Amino acid sequence: MTREYIEAKNVNLTFTPPNRMPVTALQDFNLSVGEGEFVSIVGPSGCGKSTFLNVLLGLIAPISGEMSINGKVITKPGQDRAMVFQEFGLLPWRTVQDNIGLGPELRGSSKKLRREKSQHFINMVGLSGFENHYPHELSGGMKQRVGIARALVSDPEVLLMDEPFAALDAQTRDIMQSELLRIWQEAKKTVLFVTHQIEEAVYLSDRVIVMTKRPGRSKKIIDIPLARPRDYEMRVTPEFNNLKLSIWNELKDEIDSLGGAVLD
Amino acid sequence: MVKIFEDYRRLILGCISIVLFFLAWEALLTWVIPMNKFVISKPSLIFMGLFQDIKSGLLWRDLAVSGKPLLFGFGAAAIIGIPVGAVMGWRVRFGYALDPLLTALYASPLVAIAPLVIIFFGVGISGKAILVFTLCVFPFVFNSFAGVRSVDLLLVNAVRSFGGKELDLYRIVIVPTVLPFVIAGARYAIGRALIGVLVGEFFAASEGVGYRIAWYGDMYVLDRMFGYILVMMIVAVIFTEGIRWAERTAFPWRVGM
Repeated sequence: MTREYIEAKNVNLTFTPPNRMPVTALQDFNLSVGEGEFVSIVGPSGCGKSTFLNVLLGLIAPISGEMSINGKVITKPGQDRAMVFQEFGLLPWRTVQDNIGLGPELRGSSKKLRREKSQHFINMVGLSGFENHYPHELSGGMKQRVGIARALVSDPEVLLMDEPFAALDAQTRDIMQSELLRIWQEAKKTVLFVTHQIEEAVYLSDRVIVMTKRPGRSKKIIDIPLARPRDYEMRVTPEFNNLKLSIWNELKDEIDSLGGAVLD
Repeated sequence: MVKIFEDYRRLILGCISIVLFFLAWEALLTWVIPMNKFVISKPSLIFMGLFQDIKSGLLWRDLAVSGKPLLFGFGAAAIIGIPVGAVMGWRVRFGYALDPLLTALYASPLVAIAPLVIIFFGVGISGKAILVFTLCVFPFVFNSFAGVRSVDLLLVNAVRSFGGKELDLYRIVIVPTVLPFVIAGARYAIGRALIGVLVGEFFAASEGVGYRIAWYGDMYVLDRMFGYILVMMIVAVIFTEGIRWAERTAFPWRVGM
């Protein structure tokens, strides 16, 4: 396993909102992730975590520096990556089945093939029987299952997840975390997982990257040597809690004492 | 019997109140207040008069005459209003520039300019069509404006991230977002279009529904006049409810929104 499967080299990114001061979202941002690895990124609000994923996805171009996957520099969205969005990003006018078939559809595959492919992933995420439901008929957890299936159906090498469970209630979130681990083990993808929640990061990841406050840089990388497969009981062991504490110690200096960054 | 009532409760109760309304009207003018037929009419006479206008073909001719400016004006309002609203939504400056002016025009009772429109464009179809257009272009403009503004950037990004190009964004995100707004706009517009035709024909016409209502009024043939008004009500209900039904059928996802 090489550590340089996903690489970010000295990435800088500045936004200039209309009539505002420019905001530096990422500054000399470096990161490397190995193939098949599950890496979480935690950091204070507004530190550029989501921006980083959008650059990696190919939606935003950095001002300088570059990101690459398997040696290929990212310039635009590609089939080797797929994102799971925090607010799901499902098309309200499409059924579960047609939402999941979006990627294949955009690549021009036939309706029959799309249906077959999406069915496989509908079963994988446990949504059989809901193929013809619209998103508004689903619970939050089910919506995100659709989001995960939609990302997996394109068979990407890398799964990008932008606080995918933040909009879910605590119990649904616990269930979705174990579901994600199951799916990850089944689908064998490299995962980059952005989250606010330290516990979630420890439970899911091989490594956790702590980011500084804005402008965002990677501050510290913490290995999570917990055995896999992981189960819920693991969360109350001393090792687990020690890892949580060490991440918290890195993170707390970055969090604004006034209660988070001002989002503008 | 009870089962049927439970299933169609809304429809049955709604129909009962309509029937009761007409019965009460009839009874009031038959037994309570002596009817002066130069002031008011009652349902039995109205339906009989309407039946005669239908039999003689007058009603159909008038409907056909009024239908043309309605169709042309409404169609032109959609063809011009939707793109203008869309551009206002996309181009912020264009939107800022036009918004106050158009809002003022939308809010004001534009039928007031009916005499002017007739002076400019004559008593034929064109004058009425333009009056209809003036009244119902605004709902199209403002609804497509609101539709474009409510395009969800998250969805745009999601489709782009899966490899969607510009054209895919229109097909998959933008049109499905804007279309329900436009159809709702059409529902408002159709009511205003009917007003436009009637008022136009009040002022200057020799046939058509509006002309006939005014003429029957002048002649104190109130039963016939009420018959035409009733027809207009039915037409308006058919249009708006028809569009509402089309909305429910075409956009099932909006039920939960």
